[in-house]
Amino acid sequence: MKKIVLVGKPNSGKSLLFNQLTGLRQKVANYPGVTVELKSGRFEQFELIDYPGAYSLSSLSRDEEIAVNKLKDALQDPNTALVICNLDATRLESSLMFGLQVQALARAHHKALVFALNMADELQRFGHQLDTAALSAALGSPVFAISAKTLLGIHEFREGVLALAQAAEPAVPALDHGDEQALRQFSRSLARTYGLASSVVLKNQNRIDRFMLHNLSGGLAFLLVMFLLFQSIFTLAAPLMDAVEAGIGALAHWVTGFIGEGTTSDFLNDAIFGGVGSFLVFVPQIMMLTLIIGLLEDSGYLARAALICHRPLSYFGLSGRSFIPYLSGHACAIPAIMAARTIESPRKRLITMMTIPLMACSARLPVYALLISVLIPERAYLGGLVNLQGVAFFGLYLMGIIVALLVSLMLSRFVVSRDEKSDMPFILELPNYRLPHWKPLIVRVMSAAKSFVYRSGPVIFAVTVLIWLFGYFPHDAGGLEHSYLGQIGHFIEPVFEPLGLDWRYGVAILMSFLAREVFVGALGTLFGIDGADENIAGLAANIQADGLALGAGVGLLLFYVVALQCVATVATIRAETGSNRIAAGLVVGYGLLAYALACLAANLL
Amino acid sequence: MTVLNPAGPVSARHTLWDAPKKACVSVVELAASLNPLVLNRLREMGLEPGQPLICLGRGPFNGPVVVQIQDCVYTLEQQVAQHILIEPQL
Repeated sequence: MKKIVLVGKPNSGKSLLFNQLTGLRQKVANYPGVTVELKSGRFEQFELIDYPGAYSLSSLSRDEEIAVNKLKDALQDPNTALVICNLDATRLESSLMFGLQVQALARAHHKALVFALNMADELQRFGHQLDTAALSAALGSPVFAISAKTLLGIHEFREGVLALAQAAEPAVPALDHGDEQALRQFSRSLARTYGLASSVVLKNQNRIDRFMLHNLSGGLAFLLVMFLLFQSIFTLAAPLMDAVEAGIGALAHWVTGFIGEGTTSDFLNDAIFGGVGSFLVFVPQIMMLTLIIGLLEDSGYLARAALICHRPLSYFGLSGRSFIPYLSGHACAIPAIMAARTIESPRKRLITMMTIPLMACSARLPVYALLISVLIPERAYLGGLVNLQGVAFFGLYLMGIIVALLVSLMLSRFVVSRDEKSDMPFILELPNYRLPHWKPLIVRVMSAAKSFVYRSGPVIFAVTVLIWLFGYFPHDAGGLEHSYLGQIGHFIEPVFEPLGLDWRYGVAILMSFLAREVFVGALGTLFGIDGADENIAGLAANIQADGLALGAGVGLLLFYVVALQCVATVATIRAETGSNRIAAGLVVGYGLLAYALACLAANLL
Repeated sequence: MTVLNPAGPVSARHTLWDAPKKACVSVVELAASLNPLVLNRLREMGLEPGQPLICLGRGPFNGPVVVQIQDCVYTLEQQVAQHILIEPQL
């Protein structure tokens, strides 16, 4: 199939144009370790490929370099029929430099090129008339003024693109505008002739920023946005998560009722619906998080949040851009690790990815809830305003962040990268504030959910099945204690003795290296309570009656704050870093630190 | 910052980092000690001698500078901003 290549600057409406041309049928190709996302979709008889937004063809970071190389590969491909260069019509001066670079590249590769001056609706709003015919003559390539948002000029653009892509002789850019220096001057003079005055374009943006970036009001706005974001991750996603859980429960009930009792039914119930199902429960939360972060990003606020956090984070060897991944990490580390792709410095990106697993993700919630209700009395102070258990929860969240910052500080001192490009400074464009458009957002949310399931599903499935087999057989021996898993538990008991914990905790901890939330269910089974996941209070009472020393309990909490116990996270880190050593090193490193802290607590308290 | 000039800022005064809020200034030069890749990117962003800039302010906590270059607003951290020499616009 012949291809059409879509390139453009970030924040210039490129994704929206891609969506308008292809509809919602598109696929996202992820290149693990490369961190370049290429979206492709069908546009009439052509394959339209959306290249990542770039500011320039001379790359600053490794990610950009790969994106640019991919673009150059595409231009060499004889199947590439046309290049669409999408630019921001309201900001010609900064857009055209990139446009002219792409044009020169297309010319060098003898490819047809067309300029799409997107967001022309805003030009109209400002009452500015753009002479596309004259601009086209000056540039030596066809120019269309369009708006992917209001569909202004889209019909003509579609037809123009089709005609150009089908032409027997490619419409190669006719003019040579010279070297880089000449391109810069040329783009400036074109912008002066055809563009909108910058004071007009930036008036609103600068007015909002005076408030949003102000020391006091900006700080308060930031805190408010964060508060709302956290609230919605937990409150808005909760009913959806309950619905998924109920759905899986009902399905399990129906299927196993159909099969009847026996090994098959046990397997389906425990391993498939119990194991894999408990992982699907997190999908709504990931979708909600992607939606909210997408809203913030499309509205233009995310760049401001990164700016506000840059200074404090830089003390710990991180970048302002590390902020969003850290934030996402409080729901789930997997999308958070993927969100670290936006960090310009590979070194800071690596440090961010390595410390994200310390954020108190939602899988830690059930574990914290159980242990807190075992260890901390339910007492309220200041007339019910301060709840002791609530304070303990907050403390655990805070501890995760503090440990992450300290580890970052250490890593930034010791992780020395030889890559020349690895310490790129923080340079960020503050885009215009805009109302987000729903279409690209929905696509993004769905693809986040899909990639989460596809990426982590197989691993979780395999490990669940394995653990189930070891816990189930030999079946006639008399329960879990005598199963292979029980035997392993007794074998590893000496490891957990210094922590003041017996073999049951050992097995639960071991099993929770698959996923932390397994701890509660496993301990529940071991303490002989069915459905322990839903009945944390009953299990807590049982553990209290059984006797769990304060030191051992606190140690256990510390263990869960630090340890990297999530197969899916490890798999994601491995895929994103392309390194088995980093992934394994993190499991061992955090495991040892967690063990040491737990040991310390058990012996000191 | 290992890549940037280890000797520190080029000049203690008249760099973009020290420019007061709301100042209209123009670029004198970019310090040659900047990483060539960064230098190139800054030039593409329009930071060339004679280019007028408007300093819009700072991020909170003495954070990165916010500056209007041509028709875009960028934020630059200290390690970059203090390598950009400026003079008041006439």
